[in-house]
Amino acid sequence: MSAAKSRWADEDPEADAIIAQRKREKEEKRRAKAEKQRQLEEASKTSAPTQPVDAGQEANGESGPPKKRRRLSNDPDAPSVVDEVPTSEEVKKQSSLLRFPVGEWGPCRHVDNFERLNHIEEGSYGWVSRAKDITTGEIVALKKLKLENSPDGFPVTGLREIQTLLEARHQNVVYLREVVMGNKMDDVFLVMDFLEHDLKTLLDEMREPFLPSEIKTLLLQVVGGLEFLHSQWIMHRDLKTSNLLMNNRGEIKIADFGMARYYGDPPPKLTQLVVTLWYRSPELLLGADKYGTEIDMWSIGCIFGELLTKEPLLQGKNEVDQVSKIFALTGPPNQQIWPGFRSLPNAKSLRLPQTSGAPAGNPPLLPRSRFPYLTNAGLNLLSTLLALNPASRPTAQQCLAHPYFREDPRPKPKEMFPTFPSKAGMEKRRRHHTPEAPKRGQDAPELDFAGVFGGAPGGDTGETGAGFSLRLG
Amino acid sequence: MAQTNAGLKHLSNALATPDQLSNSSSSLDGVPSELETSIRCAGAQLTQAAGVLLHLSQDIISQAIVIFTRFWLGADGGSLRIYSAKDVSAASLYLTAKLSFQPTSPRSILNVYNLLLSQDASPLWFVNPRGAPTQPPTPDSYVLSEGGYQTGRLVLLRVESVILRTLGFDTHVALPHTIALTYLQTLGVSRPAVSRRVLEHLNAALLSPQLLYVTHQPNALAVAAIYLATREEGVKLVDGEWWEVFDVDREELGFLVVGMRSTEGFMRRETEVWKNKAIPMEIDEVDAEVERRRMMDEGE
Repeated sequence: MSAAKSRWADEDPEADAIIAQRKREKEEKRRAKAEKQRQLEEASKTSAPTQPVDAGQEANGESGPPKKRRRLSNDPDAPSVVDEVPTSEEVKKQSSLLRFPVGEWGPCRHVDNFERLNHIEEGSYGWVSRAKDITTGEIVALKKLKLENSPDGFPVTGLREIQTLLEARHQNVVYLREVVMGNKMDDVFLVMDFLEHDLKTLLDEMREPFLPSEIKTLLLQVVGGLEFLHSQWIMHRDLKTSNLLMNNRGEIKIADFGMARYYGDPPPKLTQLVVTLWYRSPELLLGADKYGTEIDMWSIGCIFGELLTKEPLLQGKNEVDQVSKIFALTGPPNQQIWPGFRSLPNAKSLRLPQTSGAPAGNPPLLPRSRFPYLTNAGLNLLSTLLALNPASRPTAQQCLAHPYFREDPRPKPKEMFPTFPSKAGMEKRRRHHTPEAPKRGQDAPELDFAGVFGGAPGGDTGETGAGFSLRLG
Repeated sequence: MAQTNAGLKHLSNALATPDQLSNSSSSLDGVPSELETSIRCAGAQLTQAAGVLLHLSQDIISQAIVIFTRFWLGADGGSLRIYSAKDVSAASLYLTAKLSFQPTSPRSILNVYNLLLSQDASPLWFVNPRGAPTQPPTPDSYVLSEGGYQTGRLVLLRVESVILRTLGFDTHVALPHTIALTYLQTLGVSRPAVSRRVLEHLNAALLSPQLLYVTHQPNALAVAAIYLATREEGVKLVDGEWWEVFDVDREELGFLVVGMRSTEGFMRRETEVWKNKAIPMEIDEVDAEVERRRMMDEGE
């Protein structure tokens, strides 16, 4: 701040005048107070002999004159306690005011400052490669944004990705270092910290799933990062294991903000075409146009399940199949567990089986048989995350406080995590079978869920859930 | 501590460096600094007027003006002899609206700018020095042709990219308006006249030649506007240095108060100086004005 002070110091006569005036006022106040103090002392001297006679009377008699004098001294709020304040205030002067982090802006650097090493993957919004910063030698991930065929100029998704990443500085969110540009107008690259793994590839490569203690550490980090995002009014809208990056120090970071955006209160109009199908929540599938951070919590539930079994939890072939897979796992919705789901646009065509007695609990517990090694607390957490009714799902904050994370086995310290060979760091190309995130600009599909509980057009209805039968009543 | 600082990003802005304030790309290209100030201020007013006609909220408009202001600063910034102020104004507004909850289309933007920059139909004093037309203007003085739209759109989108690159894609702008209202509540001031005056000061400060929004954090702007507004409305605030509660020191407050108060005088002088002529909003007009001033200087 001292620099700023000197910057303005000599070109500011009026401010000086204000300050001088303030000083004068303060001086006057101080004199008035000294005067008052003197008068008080005098008063107490004169009244001293009467002190033992009558305390009540004395108090009345005492407080009268100084009060009047106080008014005269043009100092409205000065009970004698306040006399201490100026001194303590002066001491406090030195105490520092909160200084805001001061950023700067400057033009983008050129991508030639980086040497490309190898290709990592192609996501829905760009190509990612591993690169080396030529000046510092640091290894970074370089993500090229896809900008072609954008009739409205710079795509809003890319802008939001940059904007949210720049604002979401958290140890569990991938760090965007800078944005660099290429030779052409639509060559834009994001420079991010390089992480060795993504969780999807890692799970594919592993022989055994993570240990329960490791799952807790991973989940705590992901939900911790998500809690921060939500606290900054950012929805991620595409959480899935391939968007969770991990390094060899057991740290996990949320990446790919291509779908992320700010939300508000009241919520703005939002597109339903978000979240990769397997991680998409039932309210989105049923066509809700008002939704909130609960959709991210559903995805967290899917990720949790995937960490437990090493396999994506709900691998629907299309929207209809996805809905039937969800209901097969959770049981069908009803008015008790999800009031109002009937009014969602795509729920009209949904013909539900006549359920005899819904499973107990609200939300009902998922079938234990699917997760045999999970503790009761764990199953409880998973069941609430995968609650059909968005209002029943915990917030990220509530999730972090869940007893599951406090019972044995405790989360494994990050430093104790095993390390794995990095696919991204080598020349190997990987392909995985997660469907792609929905493309922006597509129309929301007109969905007919008539087949969800019937001779499903998507086929593969053989897998029955534990709670109910798929036969039409 | 890192956590709290991260949370503060929402309330703070990137500020111009002393270097960016003392050098501008335009001045390196020979644009006199008073002319640059005049054009920048007129551009801010143009952005404000366009935002109002587009029914955008003042949030978006204010952010657009800050982006517009940042664009011209520093040797790496934009030059008035390379980019037209009107195009940068339009692209700033388009870009800011796109990121907001109220996006708008290139066509709406171009229609509005076409009207505001029409020498016959514009109500803006620095475009149409004769003042707002009393008769309804003829449509062909402000209706955008299809060809005009197509070329205008290309320019709009190109300048949008240029702005993003010049600012390193940092589009974050924190505004003092809501902060000021929160502070007013904290101070127990509930009189609507004060709140209105605070917002007036904050919006006027967007036009300040001292570039208050790119040199001071929003909390300081908010405090200064409250200080002025309560003075003007005769509302007494708590005794003591209440601004320190809001992390503003007296020196900064004094500077801002002076800056905000001087904006009105600056605007009056501007209307006086540019009484009978339009402020150049396009490259060739700027070139002509620079040339004219050079001739005048040489003549004398």
